[in-house]
Order: sequence, then C-alpha cells, then structure tokens
Amino acid sequence: MTQGDTDLITGTDQMLDVPWEVILWNDPVSLISLVVRVLRKVFSYDLAKAERMTMQVHNEGKSVVWSGDKEQAAAYCVALHGYALTATIQRAQ
Amino acid sequence: MSEPFRRVPEGIKVDLPDSLRQWLASIANETSEGAVTMSSPAHRRLLGPIDPSQDHDDPVTELQRQFAVEGSLGVLIATANATLLSDDEAEEWIRALQLMLAATAASMAIVDEEDLRNLNEENTEIVTTLQAGISLMMEALDA
Repeated sequence: MTQGDTDLITGTDQMLDVPWEVILWNDPVSLISLVVRVLRKVFSYDLAKAERMTMQVHNEGKSVVWSGDKEQAAAYCVALHGYALTATIQRAQ
Repeated sequence: MSEPFRRVPEGIKVDLPDSLRQWLASIANETSEGAVTMSSPAHRRLLGPIDPSQDHDDPVTELQRQFAVEGSLGVLIATANATLLSDDEAEEWIRALQLMLAATAASMAIVDEEDLRNLNEENTEIVTTLQAGISLMMEALDA
C-alpha cells in the first residue's frame, strides 16, 4: 500500500463519519402552523423545538432540521416532500 | 355557513358547497396529471432531486415520492364529495391541499413574499382559499 492509498482510505473513512443534514427551505405560501405541525409529526419534535426551527426557516431562509446517516436523512426529506415542503439533503459543512 | 371541517366521534365532518368540492377535485386532478408527466416547472420543483448535487434521485426514492404525491391527491379526488372523512383521509387532504398550493404557487411564479403581495385578486383568492382549507383541516384534525 502506498502513502497515497493510505491517504485515500483515511479520507474515505472521514467522509463516512460526516453526517448528512436535512435542510428545510423557506417558501412564501406554506403556513407557519403547517410547518410546525409537520416537523412535530415527522421528527416527533416538541412544540418549542418545532417552532424554533420553523421561525429560523421563516427568518433566515432555511434551517438544518435533522442530521445523521444518509439513508434516514433521505427518508425524512421524502416525508417533508409529502407535505410539499422544500427540503434537500447535504453533507454537513 | 357552518364550519367546513368539524371533529365528530367518527372522524371529520365535511360541509363544503358542491362548487368548492368540484373546484378542489379539478385542481387535484391537474396537480396529479402534472406530477406524472413532470410537465411544468411547478412539478419539477415539487419532485426535484432531494440531493441537489445529483441530477436524479435513486429510483426507489423517486418512486416513493411519486406514490406519495399521487396517493394524497388520489384520496382527495376520491373523497371530494364525502361528508365524513377518517382521520387518515383528513391527513391526506392536508398533504393534497399543500401539494396543490405549492404547484399553484409555482405556476404563478411566486418565489417570495413580494410576489405573493403582487398577485392579482383572482390568484390571491386561489392561494388564500387553499391556505384556509389547510388551516381549517388542521384545526379540525388536531381538535
């Protein structure tokens, strides 16, 4: 194994450790009450946490609403899309 | 007019004028057809890839999303004339109304709050009617 191979494998391992995030984006027509309700329903968040994230989406344009493994992030993102909310996934920055 | 959606022991009682039921069903049909053909920017936005770094989702994810969209809209279309909805059907109405709202907003090129404020009267009424339906159904379902 060359030094380059070691670097490559180490780099891959580090990438595997990086969590994926579910980003919820603001949109001008979805009701705040709907977004709070969906966050509570999809992620089982308590009211205060769901409201805090919703207001962050509303005021700052987006919020990281969950982070963890890619498969679960994708499943949550699909669940949010089921309510026509704009959500994407990305590797944590 | 009495409450359009009301919690009763059997589920959610629906009291809507026939004209409004037909209007909702027609928008649901349009949204559903557009979702299948991805014929408009509205539907491409609704069903765009969940990972923006990719051109497409994996096929399983695409199918899950397509089924979810068609399922919710299908329930609303099938129960548009119902006077009583189960809780599950009422939840699908909320999803369907949201999908219809998002597709309608995208077709009206509503990108931000300013676009919303600048809508003409007719389009404002469409958006506010769908929003009111979502709000009232949530109130009834969560009562």
